[in-house]
Amino acid sequence: MAAAGIGTAAWATGACTRRADPDALSFWAMGYEGDYSPHLTTAFTRMTGIRVETQTLSWTEAHEKLLTAFAGNSLPDVFMLPAHWVGEFAMVGALARMPDATLLDDMLPGALNLTRAGGSGYAVPWVIGTQVQYYRRDLIEQAGYPEPPADWAEWRQMGLALKRRYPDAFTILLYLNWPEALLTFAAQLGAGLLRDRNTRGDFASPEFREALRFYKSLFDDGLAPRVLATQIQDPVGAFAQGYFAIYPEGPSLLLDMRRRAAEIPPDKWRTATMPTPHGPAAAPGACHTLVVAKTSRRPREAWSLVRHMTSVPSGLRFQRLIGDLPARASAWRDPQLANPTLKPFAEQIAHLSPTPALVEFEQIRAEVQLIAERVVRGLVDVNTATTEMNRRVDLMLAKRRALVEAGRIA
Amino acid sequence: MTIRAHAGARTAWVFVLPVLAAIVLMLILPTLLALALSVTDYSVYALADWSNLRFVGVDNFVQLFSTPLFWRALGNTAVFAILGVPMAIGASLGAALLLNSASVHWKPLWRVLLFAPYVTSVVATAVVWRFLLNTRFGLLNYALSVVGIAPVDWLGNPRLSIPAILLFVTWKVFGYNMVVFTAALSAVPQDLDEAARLDGAGRWTRFRHVTLPAIGPTVLLAAVMSVAGFLQIFTEPYVMTLGGPAQSTTTVLYFMFDQGLKWWNLGQAGAVAFVLFLLILALTFVQARMGRRYEWL
Amino acid sequence: MAVRRARAVLSTLAVAVLTLLVITPLLWMVTVSFMPRGESGQFPPPLWPSRWSWENYHELLARRLIDGAWFDYRIVPAIWNSLGVAAVSTLLGLLMTVPAGYAFAKLRFRGRERLLQMLLAALVVPGQVAMLPLFLIFKELGLVNSYAGVILPSLAGIFAVLFVRQATMSIPDEMLDAARLDGASEARIFVSIVLPLLAPVTVTLALFMFLGSWNDFLWPLIVLADQHLFTLPVAVASIAREHSADGELMMAASVVTTLPVLLLFLALQRFYIGGLLGGSVKG
Repeated sequence: MAAAGIGTAAWATGACTRRADPDALSFWAMGYEGDYSPHLTTAFTRMTGIRVETQTLSWTEAHEKLLTAFAGNSLPDVFMLPAHWVGEFAMVGALARMPDATLLDDMLPGALNLTRAGGSGYAVPWVIGTQVQYYRRDLIEQAGYPEPPADWAEWRQMGLALKRRYPDAFTILLYLNWPEALLTFAAQLGAGLLRDRNTRGDFASPEFREALRFYKSLFDDGLAPRVLATQIQDPVGAFAQGYFAIYPEGPSLLLDMRRRAAEIPPDKWRTATMPTPHGPAAAPGACHTLVVAKTSRRPREAWSLVRHMTSVPSGLRFQRLIGDLPARASAWRDPQLANPTLKPFAEQIAHLSPTPALVEFEQIRAEVQLIAERVVRGLVDVNTATTEMNRRVDLMLAKRRALVEAGRIA
Repeated sequence: MTIRAHAGARTAWVFVLPVLAAIVLMLILPTLLALALSVTDYSVYALADWSNLRFVGVDNFVQLFSTPLFWRALGNTAVFAILGVPMAIGASLGAALLLNSASVHWKPLWRVLLFAPYVTSVVATAVVWRFLLNTRFGLLNYALSVVGIAPVDWLGNPRLSIPAILLFVTWKVFGYNMVVFTAALSAVPQDLDEAARLDGAGRWTRFRHVTLPAIGPTVLLAAVMSVAGFLQIFTEPYVMTLGGPAQSTTTVLYFMFDQGLKWWNLGQAGAVAFVLFLLILALTFVQARMGRRYEWL
Repeated sequence: MAVRRARAVLSTLAVAVLTLLVITPLLWMVTVSFMPRGESGQFPPPLWPSRWSWENYHELLARRLIDGAWFDYRIVPAIWNSLGVAAVSTLLGLLMTVPAGYAFAKLRFRGRERLLQMLLAALVVPGQVAMLPLFLIFKELGLVNSYAGVILPSLAGIFAVLFVRQATMSIPDEMLDAARLDGASEARIFVSIVLPLLAPVTVTLALFMFLGSWNDFLWPLIVLADQHLFTLPVAVASIAREHSADGELMMAASVVTTLPVLLLFLALQRFYIGGLLGGSVKG
């Protein structure tokens, strides 16, 4: 009996570091980037003989999964990291320094800008994205518009016209638990979000309040449904059925649209830049980078995988597969990217506003959106809410403030 | 004989030591550590560099008590318990009484089937229930539409999200207490019930004066245990609503996990753990008091 | 007579309707899992597949080669992981708790009553409170991302010890004393007299432990980082996050997760429900 116990105990501990393939490099990426990375890594394996094990993380749990993996010494060799998380993971000592500055050659300035904010020398920009409007051409035309108007006021008129025509449907889908839309409006108005070297919230500024008011009005006027991402189980299906006419999304939606072409034929939808308050404005961009874990036992191979994944051919392949836009500048000279669907992306990528790079920002985004959701649901008014956002954010930043004032961190 | 007694004691220690060690190392020690963390500012910064760790006394508690989400989580947990205990216990008792009726055929079959949801995985059945509760294509709203009720936004309406999750929880767990109550009901004196019936006592009167006194202590104990269970509710909102909409399903434990694992504010999480610990302790105290009164223990 | 018959039919019918309502979600899970992709997302929701299709199971369980790259939800390995973890934690759990429960009931040693009281007190400590510090401890011990890390916390089986103790109380002392007088060692008495008597209780306990481990979600989710080690609920939850639109696929995943334990339960329900009926009510 005791022998059985010891035997099983040995099995359990012996399995500690068991991987299916001990010689393979491990690679983690989120969402579609994870699902489709095997398409890029097979070429790498063919060329180098190094096998790659890809693991997909879901976006909703990616942050805690990565941080927990770091704390538990179980990070993979290479992983994808949104640019504004790089600073945090660099600070905790999870990332290996880039051995070779040429990895950053030929990058879009916007991508470098987004990455630099989070601590340079760790991350190589991989794909870049920004939210544009995917719109139902047929529905917008029925409301009397060839395309969505470029500025907020006219855009709202179009939304109201649509609402009159289809009272049960909506103009735009803005998930109440996703902060992208609100932060886009804030960036367009030039709201700074944080002040005092990123140690205090700056949400009570007139600009942010205006952004929040505009955001709220879209729900109050019935242009956006009050829904969470967990409630719409199939947003593309709902878009195809005309439940809403405009779907603000990044380039990854291009893949869904291609997959579901039977439900929503390509002539029924187009893309456009996000409406702006008045004239051209900055839009927040997302840049996903690749990094190498400090604990990687094979950094040389790991960095060569990073170089392969971020190469121009890989970028173009990824763009064909899942729509992602490459961060390498010369990829944009390829005819493949001259497609009119991609033009709004290119226009917005030309002037991106950087995301504040601090450990707490992910939590701040979540908290701000939680309060914004309460505003939309009419539980609290805009001015109280923005004061509350400042108070909450100041509390969250207390530790950072102390460390900044003591000169322990920048 | 003393040598034998000695040998017996040694065997006894060999028998109990492994499990005692596991309990101390896996439960007691970490719990004490959680309480210890609550007076530090362990955060991502401490994860980066231990020298960033400070003793902060009661600061975590001060900050916790000024966090609206904590109070909301506490309130949500209370709502879970206040609505959930009657729902779950009522369902269990109802099913047990129905099954207990002498005229029901094939009792073991029904009992097993009614118990089946209890042994399933929360993750798997939560997936099923998310589809059942879907506003547009859900079976539940379809059933309601048949009787003329407009679609209900179960998981999207902050007022309905807790009842919706409780529907799922009740479905999942009622079988357990149903069996417990069945055991208690079988101990109800049949002759007394029969005598009352002959005296012309109605069904309700008999339930009130014969059945209830006999099973009362069991029901009360089950209710108190259910309160403890609802205080620790986490997985269901985690897999069904991620704590939303408008944080209406964020529970104390959910809040603790967000603070602890998502943001690595282990100091804050420790403070929440402390509060949860006190709540459970208070509940146990109530349970013990009632136990003495009704002589369970 | 006729009245009694009618009553029997009526009350049986009432119970049958209730039972049908309760198991509808489980039946619906099975029928949807066999629907062709996209069929369940209609109104009114279909209860029965228009044609029975294995495509969801095939996509879920088979490794597929697409454009030269392998795709796999890793459900099959997760099934083996779950089986292994549940089997080992059940076996170790029994090895540790059954002798301890017996010792607390029948062997005399110093401090027994006090220890017993401490166990009763520790019963109320919510396991979740211990989880975050336990993670820090396991990080220092290198147990994060290992099966040992998943299994070890489940061995702190206070409830199991008390359960076995309760069951052992009914074994008459005379039986054990007679064996002692015959010169049998304590270990021998336990193995050849007590264990056979405790067999039904042990089966019940084993079933409790196996189901508990199989369904455990939170701790494996925290402690396992590498997808090769994922247990079934963790694997299913990670698919559910990304594929919430694919109802039929998710139902197939739910069927795969619930069916093994449901069958196990149905096969051994006599022990399970029997254990509850016997062990839960005192006095």
